[in-house]
Amino acid sequence: MKHLFFVYRFIGTSLFWFFFGVIGLIYGFLLLPLVYLVVRRPERRQVIARNMIRGAFIMFVWVARNMRLITCDVRGMQHWDPDQSQLLLANHLTLIDVVILLSLFPQVDCVVKAAVTRNPVLRVSAGTANYISNHAPDELLDSCVARLEGGSSLLLFPQGTRAIRGEPLRFRLGAAEIALRARATIVPIAIDCEPQMLAKNVPWYRIPPSQPQFRITLLPPVAAESLVPEGTDPRRARHELNAALESLIGGELD
Amino acid sequence: MDKNELYGQLKNILIDQFELDEASISPDANLYDELELDSIDAVDLLVQLKNVTGKKISPDDFKDVRTINDVINALTAL
Repeated sequence: MKHLFFVYRFIGTSLFWFFFGVIGLIYGFLLLPLVYLVVRRPERRQVIARNMIRGAFIMFVWVARNMRLITCDVRGMQHWDPDQSQLLLANHLTLIDVVILLSLFPQVDCVVKAAVTRNPVLRVSAGTANYISNHAPDELLDSCVARLEGGSSLLLFPQGTRAIRGEPLRFRLGAAEIALRARATIVPIAIDCEPQMLAKNVPWYRIPPSQPQFRITLLPPVAAESLVPEGTDPRRARHELNAALESLIGGELD
Repeated sequence: MDKNELYGQLKNILIDQFELDEASISPDANLYDELELDSIDAVDLLVQLKNVTGKKISPDDFKDVRTINDVINALTAL
C-alpha cells in the first residue's frame, strides 16, 4: 500500500509539474503580456498582474494538497495585516515555499533573480507585476526600502538561496539592513517541510520518500529597531538584528 | 586620477564614512578580515567610490577584491 502511494505520488507529481508548466507558459506568453498591452496605467497593471499570479498560486497549492502530493499547515495568519506595510522574512527550503507564501499574501512585493529578468518572457511577467530585480545590490537595497516606505509589504528570503533542512540558519545582512533603514515592522515566518522537497540541486522527479508536510508559522510582528539595543551604531545594528532574526526563526524550527 | 590620488580618496572615504582608524589602513590591508567591512559596507563603498571617481566597479568584479590595493587596481582597470 505504501509502495502504491509512492508510485501514485510520482505520477501525480509529474502531472502536477506538467500542469504547472502549462499554466506558466499561458501566463508568460499570453495573459501577462496581454495585461501589459491592454492596461495603460502601471499601478493598475501591477495590481491586476499580482492578483492573477496569486490566483494561479492559490490554484497550484489547492491542486497539490487535494492530489495529496503535499500537506500544508499555516499558523498565525492573524499576524498578517493587509492594511499595513510589513516586511515578511522567511527561511527558504524549497521552490514551493515561494508559491505557498505568494498565495497567502495579496499584493505583496518580492524580489526576483536577475536571471529571471534577463529572460525575455519572464521579464515581461515580472515587469508587469512590478517585482524588484536583484541585478545591482545597491539599487536593490534602495528599492526595497522605497517600497516599504511607500506602504507596500515586502517578502524576502534573507538566506538568499535555498538551504538544507536542519542546518543552522545563516541570513545575509541585506534583509536586516533594509528593515533598519525602512524602520520596518517585521513578520518572521518559519517554514518547515518534512521531508524536504525541491531542495537546491535536487531535480523535481526525485520525489521524497514520503508526502512532504509543510508547516508555515507566522510569528507576531516586531519593530526592527526593538530587536537592537538603543544607540547601537548602524553598522553594528544590522549584525545584531540579523542574529536576532536567525534565532527567532531558527528557534521556531527546532 | 592616478593610483596615489585614488588611494588618498579611498583612504578618506574609509576614515570619514566608515570611521576606520587611519593607522589600520595600508595598501595590503584586507577589507574584510582586517578592516572588518561587511557585505553592506562593500556595497556602500562601491557607491561612495562612484560618487568620488565617477567610476563604478561592478559588483561581480568586486567579489574578487580583497585588499585596498585590489580596489585601486579594479578602479584603474576601468
